[in-house]
Formats: sequence, C-alpha cells, structure tokens
Amino acid sequence: MEGINTVDLMRLKHGEVNLGTSIMAVRFEGGVVIGADTRTTTGSYIANRVTDKLTHIHDRIYCCRSGSAADTQAVADAVHQHAQLYAAIYGERPPVATVAALFEKLCYDNKDQLSAGIIVAGWDKEKGGSVYNIPLGGGTFQQPWAIGGSGSTYVYGYCDATYQEGWGEAETLQFVKNTLALAMARDGSSGGCIRMCVITEDKVERHFVPGNELPRFWEGKEVIGGLAQTTKPVAAA
Amino acid sequence: MSSIGTGYDLSVSTYSPDGRLFQVEYANKAVEAAGVAVGLRCTDGIILGVERLLHSKLLVKGANRRIQSVDEHIGMATAGLLADGKHLGSRARDEAANFRETYNAPVTVQVLSDRISGYVQAYTCYGSVRPFGISTLVAGADKTGPRLFCIEPSGVFYGYRACAVGKGRALARTELEKVLAKEGGVSVREGVMEVARMLSGLASYLAPLAISLSRSTAVESVKNDVLAIHLVHDDNQDKAFELEMTWVCEESGMKHAAVPADLLAEAEEKAKAALEEGMEED
Amino acid sequence: MAAKGPVEGSSIGFDFSNYARNEFLGQRLNGLPKATSTGTTIVGLKFGGGDSGEEEGICLGADTRATGGPIVADKNCEKIHYLAPHMRCCGAGTAADTEFVTNLISSNLELHALSQGRPARIVTAMTMLKQYLFRYQGHVGAYLVLGGVDSTGAHLFTVHAHGSTDKLPYVTMGSGSLAAMAVFESAFKQNMKRQEAIDLVSRAIRSGVFNDLGSGSNVDVAVITKAGTEMLRNYEMPNERGVKSRNYKFRRGTTAWTKESIRSLVVSEDVRITSGAGKEQPGVEVRPVAIGAGPGGEEGMEVDS
Repeated sequence: MEGINTVDLMRLKHGEVNLGTSIMAVRFEGGVVIGADTRTTTGSYIANRVTDKLTHIHDRIYCCRSGSAADTQAVADAVHQHAQLYAAIYGERPPVATVAALFEKLCYDNKDQLSAGIIVAGWDKEKGGSVYNIPLGGGTFQQPWAIGGSGSTYVYGYCDATYQEGWGEAETLQFVKNTLALAMARDGSSGGCIRMCVITEDKVERHFVPGNELPRFWEGKEVIGGLAQTTKPVAAA
Repeated sequence: MSSIGTGYDLSVSTYSPDGRLFQVEYANKAVEAAGVAVGLRCTDGIILGVERLLHSKLLVKGANRRIQSVDEHIGMATAGLLADGKHLGSRARDEAANFRETYNAPVTVQVLSDRISGYVQAYTCYGSVRPFGISTLVAGADKTGPRLFCIEPSGVFYGYRACAVGKGRALARTELEKVLAKEGGVSVREGVMEVARMLSGLASYLAPLAISLSRSTAVESVKNDVLAIHLVHDDNQDKAFELEMTWVCEESGMKHAAVPADLLAEAEEKAKAALEEGMEED
Repeated sequence: MAAKGPVEGSSIGFDFSNYARNEFLGQRLNGLPKATSTGTTIVGLKFGGGDSGEEEGICLGADTRATGGPIVADKNCEKIHYLAPHMRCCGAGTAADTEFVTNLISSNLELHALSQGRPARIVTAMTMLKQYLFRYQGHVGAYLVLGGVDSTGAHLFTVHAHGSTDKLPYVTMGSGSLAAMAVFESAFKQNMKRQEAIDLVSRAIRSGVFNDLGSGSNVDVAVITKAGTEMLRNYEMPNERGVKSRNYKFRRGTTAWTKESIRSLVVSEDVRITSGAGKEQPGVEVRPVAIGAGPGGEEGMEVDS
C-alpha cells in the first residue's frame, strides 16, 4: 500500500488566501518601526489591495503577518487573547519577549498545520523597543531588524548594506519605506501601498504611503539610503 | 479550644461550629515546633537564614539543607515538616520552569508565591488530604527588586520586609524590627551578620528581653516557656544546630546562592562573641 | 500510521480516517468525484455617512443561480441568508455549507444576544464564522460576505472558507467576483445615497450574471440601515422566460384508440377489531381499541385494586 503511506498530507491547501508579502520591523533608540505592503492574493487574484498586515496584539505590541491569512489571523487572535489575559492576571503589560514566546509556542507546536511567518515588535519598560522574528517552523530570534515574507529575499543585501545602529525615528521610518518599496517592486506577490507604524513609550503612530507615492528608485528619483523624504502620520485606524 | 474532642478536628473539610479549621491550626503547631527560618530584605539584596536543629551527632555536617533553590533568582526556606518542604520546593520549581517556558521571562517572586499559595490552599479543601505542616519563606530578586513572601499552611501569603517563622519567631521578629529600624537600611553583608547573630544565639541572646516581654501579657508567657526550653536545650548540647544562609545580591550575581563559607564563619564568630559578652553582662 | 485528524479522539467534527484511502483510490480511478459548488456572484458595499445626508448602511447583493456541475440546479435560489434582524450574510461556495454555517451562527447569535441582553455585533458574527471555518481548515466550503449595522456603526466583511477575514468598504466574492469588482472599482464612491448604492450593487450583480457562467437568473438585494433591514427579493429579473410563440397542446381526439377499459384503483375491505385470541368469547365484551392510546387502549389503563 505504497500509495497510502506516501500521500502528502501537507500539500498546499487549495484556494487558500495567501499573504505573499513584504514585511519588516526595525528597532531604534526608544522604540520600533514596523511596516508592510498591503497585498493579499488568492492565486493570481488580489483579494484585498489595502490589507492591514500590521496587527495589534497589545497596547505597545504589534505583529507583522506573512503566510496564510487564515492561519496568521487565527494565531494573532489567540495571542491577542493571551496578552489580554496576561495583563489582567499580572496587572501589567506583557513584555514583547513574552508575546514572542506565546507566538512561538503556537507556531512551533502546530508547525505541521500552519504556514505563518511572523515578526513581533513593540516597546516594553524592560527592554525598550525590540524585534523578534518567528520564521515558518517556529523559533524565536531577537534582531535589531527583521524582514519577512516572499518579498524579503530581494532586499537582504540592501538591508545589510544600509542599516546602521543609532538611527532616530525619522531615519528608521525612511529605511523601512525604502526597503519595502524595493521589495514590492521586485516581488510579484507584494505590492499596493505601504503601511507603517511607529511604536514608542508614548505613542502608536500609523503611516500610510499610497501606491502612487511609493519611492521610485529606478527613475533615479530617490537616493538609496537617502533620508530626504519624510511621511506624515495619519490618524490611528 | 473547647471544641477539641468533639470531632470537628478530624477532617480538614469540616468547619467547627465557630468557623475554624482545626487541621489547619494543628498544621501551624507543626510549624511552631520547628527550627526558626528568617528572611531579611536589605537595600541591595535579600537573605534567607535557617537554624538547622541536629537531632544526632552522627549526621554529616552541612547535609539535609532546609533552603532550596526554586529558580536562578529565587530561594525558598521552610519551617515545619522537612518532607513537606521538599515536596513544595519541587512544586515551586515546576511552577517557575513552567512560567519561564510559557512567557520566556523569569517568574517574579510575587507571582511564584501566588502560585505556591494556591497549591497550599488546595490542601485545606479536601477531606482526603492533610494541610502542609510548613510555613514557607520565598525570597528572591526580580525586575521589581528584592522581594520576600511568607506562605502559611492555610494558603494565605503576605509580602514582608523581614519575616521569621518557626520556634521563637516572635523574638526573631522583634529583633528584625530593630534591624530594619536602622537609619539608611542594612546592606546584605550587614544583614548576614545580623541574621547570624539572631540565629546562633536566639534563645540565650534574647532571654532577658523575652522575660521582660513575658511580664506584659499572658500570651507572652507561653513564648517565655518556649524560650526557656530553648535556653536549656542550647546549654545542654553545645553545637546542637547548624547555621544555613543563602542570599540574592550583587555579590552573588543576582542569583540565589549560599553565603560564602568564609563570610558565614566570620558572622558566626562575631555572633558567638556577642553572645558571650551578653552572658557576662547578665 | 494513520493520518492524524485535527480533532483526534473527538466524537464531533469531520472524520478524516478515509482520506488517505480515497486519495489512493482517486489516483487509480481517474480522479475523485467532485463536490457540488455554487458558481456565484455576491457583493456588498457601505453607503451613507459623511456628507451624504443619510445614515450609514450596508447594501448586499446576490445572483440566484445554483449549479451542480454543468447543471443549473435552481434558477431562483436565495443566497442572502438571515443571521440576525440587523445582519445578513451572502454565501458562495458549497451551497449546503453556506446554508448550514449561516443557520448555525444565526442560532448562536440569537443565544448570544439573549444572554448578553443586547443585539450581537457584526464583529461577533464575523469572529464566530472565522473561528468555525478555521477549525474545519477549509473543508467547510463557505465563502461569505457579511454585512450589518450595530451600535458601533455599519460594518462589511468577507470571510473565506479557511477562516481569513477582510474588512473593506466594498467587496465581491464567488466566481463572478472579478466581473463585479470591475464594476465597483470603476464606479464606487464614498458616502453614496441609498438608491445609488442599490443601483451600483445590482449593476455589479448583473455584470456577474451576464459575464460569469456560474452566475445567472435574477438579482437579490438587501439594504440594512439603523432603521431596519429591507430584503428586495428579485429586485431585478433580467432573465425572465419570454412568451413562446407556439405551444404544444394537442386538440382532443387527435389520437385514435381501439379499446377502452376503466378499473377502480380504490380497494376497500372490512376490518373487525377483536380482543383475546382473535375469537369471540362468551361473556367477554368486545371493545374497540382506542387508536394511538398504546397497549390496551384508554380504558385498559386502569389498574386492578
């Protein structure tokens, strides 16, 4: 009965909504900047062109989601619930490391059933801004910056060459915007607009870059690593 | 205890008509008979100390410790039934490890104490079990600073700046109050000296004070009796107990560790000297 | 080793124990039989609010064709399902699944409203749906457009069979979603009037009806505002059957016959009800057994004292 033993139970779920994605989080002195494109696809169809992949977990903690939309939403909802419970039980906000651990537990324990690549980022009073990467099969990696999703493969070199320790909020925001624009330009399943979010002790501030205002490097209009452009915050959604 | 012998003390799941749980009160008696354990929160760390009564001269020196490590940064001292202490220590280690695994963060002393107290309380609810015959001092340093909690057989727990449980705890507490009253607080190194002094000479050192106290109230006279027994006990058998001390402070790398042997020896030496001085004054 | 199901050891939910066998047989037998799914166009949009001078609301639309493979199974079915008085849900995908999942959630929403003492919110329905669908990992093939008005305003969601959700001002789903979305993308405006919204929705559905093979027949519309829900069943009927110019009725006596025989199909018989061993016995009164009263009839229920 060779047929039975070799059936691949983990084949790609047909018709599943996917976040072919470019996501990113960068730490800076006093907080983090997170960002993502806004494209959600089912096969070759764009199911949502203004998706919000920056998902609220707690007051000062967000996650960037990549992989299956259903899986990452379910996991994020579960962790959101855990985080609320933590705050209720222990009377203080959960640290980012704790939220990352909750994500990792779900992602690792259910690795056979999930396709979820998640970046957790936020601010807490113990560590300030911090970024945790939780890739496909689980595992937690604290990093000064993290990129993820299908678009990230195109911009590892750019990030390595550009990132510097000691940036402020504006510079970090610009770095995230440039990186995502580059990734979205090369990755077919990323695109649309850019959503970003600045998280510090005092604020959670959202930024939105419409698709027609993305940096356009190939026309020589932006300088790589240049910090001339700034974005204005928009009202929190 | 007018209700004794009326059957209300047979089960922990039965209240007496005046709303008491005798089995829990008896558990407290088991604690009162045990060697004292002291916890002292200092400015820069925290100390646990116990007097380990030696019932036989054949016992190996330094064996049968009463202070356990629960996590890297938390220690636990028990007064009462030794085996109950071991069991609760094991449970506390499980809780601390579980917290670490779930939240990727060290457990705080308060949260750990809360979890242990829940476990202890469960043993006051069922007729098939007996309550823990121990009082537990949980001490450690976490993100909120040095912390000390005492869990009683009923399952209640309180946070303390300093605490003593076991035989002669009232006198030790009076002494601890004096230590804490010092201006500018005490450092762990000073704390070690104080605790050593308290433990080595608890009975003899405090005897005059205790007697003066005993004159004030009836309750104190009971304590005086306890004291007297201790005093005799101390006189008859030289070196009938060993000192055991641990701390969490800068010097130990904010980890729960034994107080270095040389420092402990020095503290004991000083304590003995002070004790003899006190005797001569009498 | 057997494949491990998501709810192993549970008596509820789907049983996957035959999955591997079926997959194996499928390879041998040139493909597995396919499940029925509805080719559909369903849409929804938000209207009103802002400076439109109207209350915000939701307008939902659906075609009415149900298909089973290449066959049109129902020419005028209802795809806008009831969830709660202020909430409706359009369903695409496997017809039975959309029907059952909306019924189930509707029932749970009613219980939820009763226990909480206030109408359930749209996000609550959305969460119930997504959690239910996620549990079944896409095997419950319901693709939904959920819309309604609650105390927090008008809300519109799409829910995919795997359990993912999106919140948008205008949405389309089903096989005709591309055609319908083309209409929305070209003509949607923020803060439309009620009638504008209805017109755009029915135009989007018509676009599905005429350009998508899986969609057809009529246009159903639902309008939900704070004031209430209005179901516009068969709001447009662009595919009504025309009057045939000829009919196939034959005149009486067109066909000749050789023999006529009339038989009665009604059979009658006499039934006499007896007690005892089927025989009449002296001194025993024969009483008819009361119908439906159980053994012994109603009088036989007395107990000897």
